[in-house]
Amino acid sequence: MTVSTTTGQSGSALERTSGGGGGTLADVVETVLDKGVVIDAQVSVAVVGIQLLEINARIVIASVETYLRFAEAVDRLSIVPKDQKGLPDLVGDAAGAATKGKAVSGLGKAAQEISGAVADSLRDRGDDRERERPRRRRDEER
Amino acid sequence: MAQENGLFIYGIVPSDVEPTPEAEGVGSPPGEVTAIRHGELAALVSEVGLEEPLGRPADLTAYERLLDGTAVVAPVLPVRFGTVVTGEDAVEDLLAAHHDRFAAALDEFEDRLQYTVHGRFDEQEFIAGFLAENAAAGALADEVRGRPEVESREQRIRLGEMISQAVELRREAENRDLIDAVGRLVVADAPLPPSNELDAVRVSFLVEGDAEDEFVQAVEDFAERRRDLIRMRLIGPLAPYDFVSAHQLVE
Repeated sequence: MTVSTTTGQSGSALERTSGGGGGTLADVVETVLDKGVVIDAQVSVAVVGIQLLEINARIVIASVETYLRFAEAVDRLSIVPKDQKGLPDLVGDAAGAATKGKAVSGLGKAAQEISGAVADSLRDRGDDRERERPRRRRDEER
Repeated sequence: MAQENGLFIYGIVPSDVEPTPEAEGVGSPPGEVTAIRHGELAALVSEVGLEEPLGRPADLTAYERLLDGTAVVAPVLPVRFGTVVTGEDAVEDLLAAHHDRFAAALDEFEDRLQYTVHGRFDEQEFIAGFLAENAAAGALADEVRGRPEVESREQRIRLGEMISQAVELRREAENRDLIDAVGRLVVADAPLPPSNELDAVRVSFLVEGDAEDEFVQAVEDFAERRRDLIRMRLIGPLAPYDFVSAHQLVE
C-alpha cells in the first residue's frame, strides 16, 4: 500500500484516498473495471473489441486455502501480544508476500511422503467422519 | 472513417463541458481528449490505434483520472472501459439514438458524486474476538495451535471455515450498519461484493454536493467506533461508476 497518495489527519480512523486514479492499481481496477454504460453493437455503432490485459477481477470464494490461512493466523495469535499495534500487520504482509506457495506446499508434500506409518497413526486417531467432511466439501467447490 | 484508428469513449457529459488541453487520454503516447457534441450531450473521446493494446495500468488510471476529474465539475456517465467506436459519425449516432435517456441520466447526477467506503478487518483483532466469544472455535483453536499443519489439517480446515463464516456474517452486518448510519445523508447506496476475504465493508454511495461534509463526518464517526477492528478507507469523490447500471443499453 502506498501512503503517499492517501491523506487524512493523523489519528483519524478513516483513511482518505482521492479519486482520479490516485489510489493503488488495485483501487483503480476495483473502481472502474466492468462499470459504466455498456454500448451495444445493436445501436448501429461499431464497437471495436479491445484486448484487456489479464486483469482478473478478483472473485472471493472461500476455499480450503482460505481456511488454512485463517488457521495459520490463529497460530500467530498465540505469539503476538495483542496490544502491539502495527506488528500484526507486518506479520500479515510478510505471510502474504510468501504466498505460501512453494515453501509451504513443498513441505506438506515432503511430510506426506515421510511414511505410511505416520499416516496410519493419524488415521487411527482421527475421527473418520471429520476426516471425510472437508474433502467432500473441497470437491464440491472444484 | 479511418481504418487504423478508432475513438475511445470515456463518458457522456452535458454539451457545455470542454476538455482542458492538458487532459490526457489512454494510449502511449496519451491521446488528446476531445468532445463530440450532439444536442445537449457530448461524448469525451480520444483517438486510439486499433492495433494498440489497451488495458495497461496507465490506461486504466488515465481513464479514471479523466472521469473523476470531470465528475467534480459536471455530471458524467462513465462508458465502460474499452469501448472504442469507428469514428465521429458513430459517436454522433450513439448520442442521437439515446439522447433523451442520457440527458435524463445526467440530470440525475447533477451535483452528485460517488464515494466508496472500503473497510478491511484487522485479522488478529477479528480472530481474537471471535475465538473469545465462540467456545467451540476457541476449543478448536487450542487444539491446533502450535501443531504442524500435517497433523491438524482437518481441524484447521474446520476452524478456518468457522472464521470465514463469521467474517461473512459480520461483513453483512457492517454493510447494513454503515448504510443505516449514513442513509439519511445520501441519495443512493450500492453494496459491492467483497474484493478480499477480510473485507469488512464495501459500499458505494451517491452523495449530493451540499451533504458531502456531513457524509464524510458520518463515515469518520462510523470508522472511529471500529478503530481497532476495521481499517476503514473512504475513496472519492468519484464519477458514479456504481450507479449507472440502470442506464445500460444492453437489450
